[in-house]
Formats: sequence, C-alpha cells, structure tokens
Amino acid sequence: MKWLNLFKVNIKREVILLKRYLPNTISMILTFYIIFLGMFFGIQVVGDPGSAEMNTQYVIVNYIFWYLSMAVMAGIGWTVQNEVTLGTLEQIYMSPLGAWRIFLARIISSTVVEMITMTIMLFVSMLTAGTWLNIDIIAILPILILMIVSMLGVSFMIAGAAVIFKQIGSFLQISQFIFAGLTFVPLSTAPFLEFAPIVKGVDMVRQIMIFDYSWTDFTVVDYSSLILNAILYFALGIFVFFRCERVAMEKGVLGQH
Amino acid sequence: MENVIEIQNVKKSYRKKGAKEKVEAVKGVSLTVKKGEIVGLLGPNGAGKTTLIKMMCGLLIPNEGTILINGINIRQKRLQAMEHISVVLEGNRNLYWRLTVKENLEYFAGNRGHSKKQIQEKMEHLIDRFNLREKENEMVNALSRGMQQKVAVAVALIANTDVIFLDEPTLGLDLETSYEIRTLLKEIVEEEQKTIIISTHDMPVVQEVCERVVIVNHGNIVADDRVENLLQLFESKAYLFTLNATLTKQQISFLETHFVTSISQNDVGQTLLEVNIQQSEDFYRIIDLLAKEQIPIEKIDRTTVDFEEVFMKIVKGGYSHEMAKSV
Repeated sequence: MKWLNLFKVNIKREVILLKRYLPNTISMILTFYIIFLGMFFGIQVVGDPGSAEMNTQYVIVNYIFWYLSMAVMAGIGWTVQNEVTLGTLEQIYMSPLGAWRIFLARIISSTVVEMITMTIMLFVSMLTAGTWLNIDIIAILPILILMIVSMLGVSFMIAGAAVIFKQIGSFLQISQFIFAGLTFVPLSTAPFLEFAPIVKGVDMVRQIMIFDYSWTDFTVVDYSSLILNAILYFALGIFVFFRCERVAMEKGVLGQH
Repeated sequence: MENVIEIQNVKKSYRKKGAKEKVEAVKGVSLTVKKGEIVGLLGPNGAGKTTLIKMMCGLLIPNEGTILINGINIRQKRLQAMEHISVVLEGNRNLYWRLTVKENLEYFAGNRGHSKKQIQEKMEHLIDRFNLREKENEMVNALSRGMQQKVAVAVALIANTDVIFLDEPTLGLDLETSYEIRTLLKEIVEEEQKTIIISTHDMPVVQEVCERVVIVNHGNIVADDRVENLLQLFESKAYLFTLNATLTKQQISFLETHFVTSISQNDVGQTLLEVNIQQSEDFYRIIDLLAKEQIPIEKIDRTTVDFEEVFMKIVKGGYSHEMAKSV
C-alpha cells in the first residue's frame, strides 16, 4: 500500500509538471516531427526510389524506438541531475521506501507519457509518409514491455553515475548516438548486439511492423533471449545503482552540486 | 527516558578536491539524545555540524563508529531507520519550486508511503499553524524566503517522525521571520513531543528553544550541557568593575597577564574592567591590587551573559568538558 501511495504521488507530480512545462513538451514533439520530416524527404530525394517505401518504414520504426530509448535510458540520469540542481536529491534519500523506488515511479509515469506521445507520433509519421505499418498490439506489447525493463536497467546504471558525478549532461547528450546505434543497426548486420539492451526487441518489433510477423512467428529462443536480456539488465542496473549510492554516501557527494 | 539517538565513536574524513591529504571532519564523536529532548548543535563554520547531521540522517556513511536511531543501526538498516527521521537541510534545498505549498506537502508525505487521506487532517492543521492558508495553492517559487522555510519545516512535520533534524532553520531570514520561526518551533516542541536536533548559528534559537546544547569544534564535542548550566557557569565567573580612574600601561599589562580581562572606557571617562574569575582567590587579588594602587572602585556588577558570549568563550577554549560536569 505504501508503494502504491509513492507511485501515485510521483505520477501526479509528473502530470502536474508536464502541464506546467507544456510549451517545453510541445516544442519537443515539434522538433521530433521536424527531424522526421527531414529524414523522410531525404529518402524521397536522394534515396533509391525502388526501396523508398521500405526505407521510410525502417526510419519510422527506428526513429520511434530511438525516441523511446532516449527518454527511458537517459530518463533517471536526467532526473538525478535535475534533483541535484534543484537541491532536493537529499530529501529524496530521506524516504524510507528508498530513492530507487521514487525514481522507478517517476520513470514509469514518464514512460507512459512518452509512449502516448510515441503512438501519436507513429500515426502522424505514417500519415505524413502515406505508408502503413502492422500495429499488432498483442505481438508488440509483451516485447515492448520486456524492452522497457532492460532500458530501465540501463537507466539505473546511468543514474548511478549521476549520483556520484552529478554533471553528466554531456555524457547523456553523447549517449543519444549510442542509443541511435542500438536502434538503427539491424541484428542481421551485427549479431553480437543480441546481448546489448533493446537490440533484440527492436529487431523483433521491426519484423512485426514491417514484415507482418505475428507473435507465433518467433521461437522460444527469441522470447527467452528477450526475457533473459530484460532480467539481466534490470538486475545489473539496480546493483550498479545501489553500489553508486553507497560510494556517494561514503565520499559525501550525495547532495553536492 | 529511552535514548532515541545513540552515536558511538563516529569518525568521518574527506578528501577535498585537489588535496592529497584527508580532512578529518568528525573525530570520534559519541553522543546520546533522549526521547523528547531538544538539542542545539552549535559550532563555528567547518566544525563538523552538518557532517554529523548528515551521518545521523543516513545521508553520509561514517568511516568508523555506530549510529543507532531508536535502536536501529542506520548503517545496516538505513531505510528502516528513515521511518523515524525527517530533516530540513540548510538553504532552499527541501522543496520543489514549481509545485504549490499543498502539492509539496502531499508529495513528500506520499514519498514516505502516506496517502492523501492519511495526511489530510495533519496537512490542514499545519497550513493553519504556519499561517500558510492564503498561500496554500501558490507555487513555492512565488513565496518569500521565510515562507519557504516555514513550508520546509511543515514538510518535515507532516512525515510524523520521532526525530526531526533542522539544519540552520533561521539562516538568511530577517529578524521578524526568524522570530516567527522560533516561536513556531517552541510551539511545536510543546505540542508534538518530538526529539529535535537543531544545528544553528542563531543564538536566540538556542536560548529560547533548546534545553540542551552540544558544541562541536574541530570535529570534536567541546561542550555538552543544559543551556542554563552553561549560562550559569559563565555568569558566575564574570564581573564588571567600574573604576573612577584611568589605568596605567603597567596596571593594564598586569591585569591582562594574570586575569582574563577586557578593559574599556565609558562615556564619562570611567574605566570598565571585565574580569573572568577562575578561582575565588582571584577576586580578592584584584580587590587588593586596586586598593594597593589606590584606584577608586565605583561599583562591581556580576555581568549577565547571553548564549552568544558563552558560545564564543567555549569555542575559543575558555571551557573544558570537565568544568561543565562539575557544575
């Protein structure tokens, strides 16, 4: 029950701040759309006309998942950095339920908001491009949830670094390109990336959305790999975060800006 | 009465940025605080007060020693210990400026697992008690520094913990707001029966709110006693002689060598000789000296001291722990 109350207030806080920073949210969505338009027209103008539709479909799926990965994997890191800037990080650490649960609640609520934005953007992108992808919710949703779990693990690892070093904004900016690599590079090109976070999931979603796969078209090995990936990264993320917390408390840098 | 806080031989050292050697911020502090005590934690800047408070709050891990909160070892069961502690840290570092007063209260209570229903009554009470009713729906960034500080204290109280740490609760406030906060703290102490540790430089807070004072200097506790005992200790030894004469350089030199004195002149040309008497014989020695030198004494007053003077004397070394215990 206590956890539920914690989740409720953090979700409420995210919604309140989303409303209060509405111009910021709108400008972010517009920027996203303008970049998509740039890529879409780039394919139309300089790309091979024979594969233009397929390329556009790839761009839509990859771009949508890049957006989601940036929001989730860098999310807790940004949250920690903002808390340090505001000076409230130490108050977060006074919760008997643990700072990690507060950050988890915040990232879950912001992820829900991002997924709604992502869905709207997906349809707007498809409408703009005049191409329709296979939106098979039953097949996509479990894969998406497992992907998000592994992303949360990475997010906690980055947050751990933020707890110690604080000013990791530059790293978070650069990490966008790492996330782009993870979402844009197909697994067939780089099979070793199967063990990296989200790559397997994005690959499976691509198969569903572009090549009309259903959930039965994947093997047990595919699902097992995805589940293992999610568990492993989440557990590793929490472990790294706890270790970093301890280091910050030993070094006395928890609330320092 | 049971101990709420038990600290044993706690040490903490840091390596400052760019420095090779570690700085010992806290050097083996032991301290116990009983349930319902209001303790003032004093010390000059860099004495180790905030380090000590952060260790008691579980925000900083000591190098050595144990800290128990209600019998719970904060190092081993940090989250369990947090159930009993809330803190208002120094400065404006306790609130979300883009949330309103009520939203802040609800948010921080929720982070401790309390539902809105559970805190509703207490929240309304605190809003009235802290005169925040007119501002309850205003964002914190629109409030004055004093108002923000009141909200921060209210946030600490809504957690309903046994122990509350207040780090510089009146820092940067004007006299009127500082007085208001002091009055509120006194009322809270009477009403809520909490154990409160106040770190402050504001001596009126200590004198008016605290019943016991712990003075930290260079990472050690240099005094730990009841406020009235420390005041009494210094009051009983300080005398002000008003002399109808001007002292010679030799006389001043002699007095300064043999007694802790301060010598000044008042507006009517009298010499004011303030003496700290360590032993009763000293009092007679000064009288004998003045008689021998034929210096007329207008009057002798026992000086009243405020806590600021007591604090300064302790920090400058005119006090030892044993002295307090003998009082």
